[in-house]
Amino acid sequence: MTALPLQPASGGGRFPGFSTASQARHWDEATAAVVIARLGLPQDLRYFTPVEEAAARALFDQLLDQREDPRVPIVNMVDARLAEDQTDGWHYDGMKPDGESWRASLSALDEDAFSRHGVSFCQVHWDAQTAILTNIQDAAQWHEFSGAHIWSLWTRYACTAFYSHPAAWDEIGFAGPAYPRGYKNLGLDSREPFEVADVRPQQDPLRPQFAPGAEEED
Amino acid sequence: MASVRDRNASAWLLPAGPGGNHALRNDMRHFEDDDEVDIVIIGCGAGGSTLLQRLARAGWRAVALDAGPFWDPEKDWVSDEAGSHHLYWTEPRVISGKDPVPLGSNNSGRGVGGSMVHYAGYTPRFHPSDFQTLSQDGVGADWPLAYHELKPFYEDIEGELPVAGERWPWGDPHSYPHRPHPVSGNGELFLRGALATGITAKVGPVAISNGRFGNRPHCIYRGFCLQGCKVNAKASPLITHIPDAMDHGAEVRPDSMVTRVAVDDATGRATGVHYFRHGQERFQRASMVAVAGYSIETPRLLLNSVSKHFPDGLCNNFDQVGRYLMVQGAPQTAGRFESEVRMWKAPPPEVSSEQFYETDPTKPYKRGFSIQTVSPLPITWAEHVTAQGHWGAGLRKYMSDYVHWACLGALCEFLPLAGNRVTLSGEKDRRGMPVANFSYSQCENDGQLMTAAQSAMEKILHAAGADEVITIQRYAHLVGGARMASGERSGVVDADCRSFAVPNLLITDGSVLPTQGSANPALTIMALTARAAEKLIARTPQRSR
Repeated sequence: MTALPLQPASGGGRFPGFSTASQARHWDEATAAVVIARLGLPQDLRYFTPVEEAAARALFDQLLDQREDPRVPIVNMVDARLAEDQTDGWHYDGMKPDGESWRASLSALDEDAFSRHGVSFCQVHWDAQTAILTNIQDAAQWHEFSGAHIWSLWTRYACTAFYSHPAAWDEIGFAGPAYPRGYKNLGLDSREPFEVADVRPQQDPLRPQFAPGAEEED
Repeated sequence: MASVRDRNASAWLLPAGPGGNHALRNDMRHFEDDDEVDIVIIGCGAGGSTLLQRLARAGWRAVALDAGPFWDPEKDWVSDEAGSHHLYWTEPRVISGKDPVPLGSNNSGRGVGGSMVHYAGYTPRFHPSDFQTLSQDGVGADWPLAYHELKPFYEDIEGELPVAGERWPWGDPHSYPHRPHPVSGNGELFLRGALATGITAKVGPVAISNGRFGNRPHCIYRGFCLQGCKVNAKASPLITHIPDAMDHGAEVRPDSMVTRVAVDDATGRATGVHYFRHGQERFQRASMVAVAGYSIETPRLLLNSVSKHFPDGLCNNFDQVGRYLMVQGAPQTAGRFESEVRMWKAPPPEVSSEQFYETDPTKPYKRGFSIQTVSPLPITWAEHVTAQGHWGAGLRKYMSDYVHWACLGALCEFLPLAGNRVTLSGEKDRRGMPVANFSYSQCENDGQLMTAAQSAMEKILHAAGADEVITIQRYAHLVGGARMASGERSGVVDADCRSFAVPNLLITDGSVLPTQGSANPALTIMALTARAAEKLIARTPQRSR
C-alpha cells in the first residue's frame, strides 16, 4: 500500500520514505505472518448486514478521517473480530455484549440520520455526519447507551484496527516489530539506520498555531 | 548463582537462546483423573507456578490446571499489539459500580505463565508499612504477617527471576542481583525531570535479565514486553518456575477450565476439582486443592462451588469471598518534547520513584503512590489521545506526533473497601458457568491520590522540558478478593494461605493480599506463595513419590 492520504497540515508526510514493512525480512516468522496479512486482501464480511456495513463504513471514515482510498479496511477488520467474538473480555453492566452493542448502535445512527435528514447515516453528507457524532460524544445518554460508553466501544475497535496497520505506523514514524534484531540506538534523538527523522518536529498538535482549523506553513 | 540453581534450575533447563524446552514438555509426567494427587493447583500464573515448583521439588505429586494454553513463545507470541489479543482473559465478564474497571488486556492473564507473560516487568517489594496500614495510618487493613517474615522469600524470588536495578533506597533498603539496564529516551527524561525537581528516581527494579542468566539471553531492548518476551529475557513463570517443576515430576495441564471445587459433605474436606477439557467435563481427584486463579476467577470459582456446607459458595460462610478487591489508580501523564523520544524502544519498565509511597502527614490523604516509566505502543497511545476527546482529523494529526512524547505512569494505593467485589452475574459463559460481575467504586482518599499523582508527574515532565502534558485516567493490577486475615470473620485465608473454612484448601494468588501499597504485585504474590509452600511442606508428613 502506498502512503495513506493525509495532508501535511493534518500531520501527513512527516516521515518521508519511511516504511515499517520494508523491514519485514528482519522479523520472526510468527510476527511477519500476522503483520503482513494486514497488507493483503481483507477478509470478506461475515458479521455485519449490508445495512450495518454501510453505517459502519461511514462511521469509521469519520472516526479516522479516511476520506479517500487507499484506506485501512477498518470495517473488515472490525467485522472479523465480531464474527470471531474476539472481544476485550468485558462489557459495562447494563450494556449488551460487544457484538450486539455494535448492531444496536449502528442502527441507532441510522435512526438519527433518518429523523434529522430523512436518509440513512451513510447517505448524509460529511459535515452532517460529523455533527451527529459530535452530539453523541458529548451526550450523557444516547438511545439505550451512555454516550461515553458507546464512544469508548467505537473508538477502541476503530483505533485497534487502524493503528495495527503498517501504513498507519509509517504515518506516525513507529518502527514496529524488532525481534530478533532488537534496537541498538536508545536515547533522545537516536534512530536506527532504517528510521526516518520527523521533518516537522515543530508540528506540536497542542500549540495554538497548529490548533484544529488553523492554517500552517508546510 | 550456584545457590539459585540449587533451588530452582529453570534458567538452566531452557535451551541456550530463545524458545522453550520441548523435550521437557514432551517427557512431562501425566497423572490420571483417578489418581489422587497430593495437590491439584488451579491456575499457572505467579502464584500457582511458584507453588507447583516448590512442591514438586519437595517430592509432591502435583498437577496444575490452567484454563489457557501452554505457550510456545517462538510460535505463539508476536511483536504486535493487536496480534497479542490471545494473551488476555477475554471470556465474558461484567463490570459495574460507580467507577467500573475495564479488564482484558490491562490486568488479566491467560495460559501458563499468567499475566506475568504480558506484565511490564516491574518487581518492587512492598514496604514494611504496607503490612500495618490500619494500625499505622488508620486506613486499609493489617496483615496477619509482617514484612520481615516475607523478606527472605523476596530475596529468593529476586534471585530466581532475576531482578535488575540500582540499590533501592525506599522501604527496607536493599540491592538487586543484576545491575540496572541502560535507559531509553523515556527513562532519560524521567531522570532529568526528577533531578530538576529534587525527586529521587532510580533505574529498576525490573525482572529482566541484564546479561546471561543460566541459558536465558540478555535483553535486546526491542520493546514489546507487554506482548510476551520472545527473547526469554523478561521473567514469567513459564520460564522461571515451570521448567524446574516439570523436571521434578510435576504435570502442567493446559486448556483445563475448573468450574467447581468438590467438597465431601461428610468431612467438609476438598476432594478434587471439576473441570472442562476439550469439551469434556472431568474430575481430578486430589488430597489437597490450591486455588490460584487471581482476583476475579478465584472468587468466581469459590462462589460457584456450592455444596451442603457452603450454600453461598466455598469459604463464604462469613460473606468474605470476593470482597476487598482492589485496583491501583494508574493515571498516565505524557509530555511533549521537541526531541524525538521514540518511547517504544527498550522495555517500558525502566525508571521508578517511590518517594511518595508512604503517608505524608502534611497531606489530606493517607498512603501514597509510585511513579514509573510506561511506554504505550501505537494502539494504546491512541487511547491516550482519544481520551482527550480527539477523533477524526484531530486524532490522526495528534498521532503523527507520537515520536515526540514521553510517558509516565503512577500507581496509587487505592484502599480496600468491602463493597468492591466480585459476585456472580446472571450471564453465563459457553460452559454454563455464571460469569463474574466486578463492581468498583472509589473512595475520597482514592480520588485525592489520583490528583496528587497527576500533578507530581506533570511537574517532573515540565521540569524535563515538556511544553505540553496530557493525562489519561486508568487503573492497573488486581489484588484482594479472598484476603488473608487473622480470623474467618474478616478474611478467607490465614497468613500461610490456608483457608479458614476447608482444612485442605489453599489460596495462593494475588487475591489473598489485604492491601496493595503502590507496588506492582507480581513479586509479592510469588514471595507469599513461596512462603506458603515452605510452611506447607514443613507441616506435612513425608509423601511417597
